[in-house]
Amino acid sequence: MKKRAKWSGILLSTVLVGSLLLSACGSQGNAPAAGGQAGGDGGKKDFTYAMSGVYKPFSFKENGQLTGFDVEIGQALAEKMGMNAVPITNPFETIIPGLDAKKYDAVIGSLTVTPERQKAVLFTNPYYRSGSQIFVQEGNTTIKSKEDLKGKKIGVVKASNYLDWAKKLTDEDKITQYDSDITALLDLPTGRLDAVITDQVVGLRFIKEGGGKVIDVGEPLSFDEQAIAVRLGDSEAVERINKALDEVVKDGTYEKISQKWFGRNILQKQ
Amino acid sequence: MIIDIFLSSYPLFLKATWLTVQLTAVALMLGCVVGLVIAFFRISDNKVLNYIAHVYITVIRGTPLIVQICILYFGLANLVTLSQFWAGAIALAVHNGAYIAEIFRGAIQSIDRGQMEASRSLGMSYPLAMRRIILPQAFRRAIPSLGNQFIIGLKDSSLVAYVGMQDLWGTGLGEAASNYKQLETYMVVGLYYLVLIMIFSYFVNKLEARLAKGKAPNKQTKDNTSVAA
Repeated sequence: MKKRAKWSGILLSTVLVGSLLLSACGSQGNAPAAGGQAGGDGGKKDFTYAMSGVYKPFSFKENGQLTGFDVEIGQALAEKMGMNAVPITNPFETIIPGLDAKKYDAVIGSLTVTPERQKAVLFTNPYYRSGSQIFVQEGNTTIKSKEDLKGKKIGVVKASNYLDWAKKLTDEDKITQYDSDITALLDLPTGRLDAVITDQVVGLRFIKEGGGKVIDVGEPLSFDEQAIAVRLGDSEAVERINKALDEVVKDGTYEKISQKWFGRNILQKQ
Repeated sequence: MIIDIFLSSYPLFLKATWLTVQLTAVALMLGCVVGLVIAFFRISDNKVLNYIAHVYITVIRGTPLIVQICILYFGLANLVTLSQFWAGAIALAVHNGAYIAEIFRGAIQSIDRGQMEASRSLGMSYPLAMRRIILPQAFRRAIPSLGNQFIIGLKDSSLVAYVGMQDLWGTGLGEAASNYKQLETYMVVGLYYLVLIMIFSYFVNKLEARLAKGKAPNKQTKDNTSVAA
């Protein structure tokens, strides 16, 4: 008898603790992943958009709050579309698969428009323009231009267009792929890398904030257009976002956000 | 400095810790249920059930957890739409379930066959004997291995960061990318896991000690009978 009571006691408490935990996480854990449903904010539909979250200053965490240029552009666009902005993070190399898998409505994650990607997603008009830049450790005198990169160890982010640049400029087995551009830049002083290729602004910000003793080298490799991506076939969303983007640019919201983060308008060609 | 990172980011990391704890707790509880069912399949005389259990354990144990998480979250998106939390929790449960099943099977099979025979000859049905006689003893024997598996499960939960979850590890990666301090941030994350696991180990040891105490009288009677015999 006694044994039975003990046994059922264990079972009962397990169920209790279990249901407690389940109810707790039901409210918390589900929040960021839902896509395109009616959100909590006054019945407005959610506009969920993804970014890597490890790409300062475009998307990064500050006191646990996702922030940066990409986040604020998404918020401005959502406002224009009468939707509820829900930025979420996904590792960069899974960001297009995640879009395909309907985990979010759009990618506002500094995706560079490339012919390859245009086969996988639909791009809107560019929402900023920047350049691919080579960065090396301060004091490095051997690398002065892209021609000097031959046979050198280059760090880039997985699945980025900077990876394509690295493949052109050095041997494939000399390339190291990272989850974040910042991590790659931080690896320069260790000597594991000779150079990092990433976005100009990201690297310059890194230098300015004293992330490490790093300098930019040579002319930008290219001037890239960064656009918002939606799923193939979702041309209705492209139109909607383009329209919102136009309005945001016209009414000065874009200018304000761009000035706040970069001190200039990054939609205009340099 | 580690202290600075710790002080400036603890509200964030505490939240992430709570998410990690929830995720692991849900996953391991589900994993225990899965494990128990599969363990019964594995020891049953029914060939079909046996085969199912065998295939399950082979496939799950034979593929990496990260692959399972990605299949569940990205791969099956057209069949089921799972939130990050549930994709992570179910993948962890399914994964750990396979290991827990083997732990339970080993524990159940380690109980002397005579116990079952004796229970049955007393008129108990198989399920009743299992529940009242075999499982309580098996559970006690399974505790050290289960505790070990739970610790592994807790650490493995860090892989959910790969689908973008802001668990301890996911938060750590994000923090390091914005404060430019990798060593310190990763060490802080490590400390959180370490403390979590130390707390957990403490309770497992307690439980073990308590169950061992409960076991003592049984041993006594057994010894007595052997002396009497």
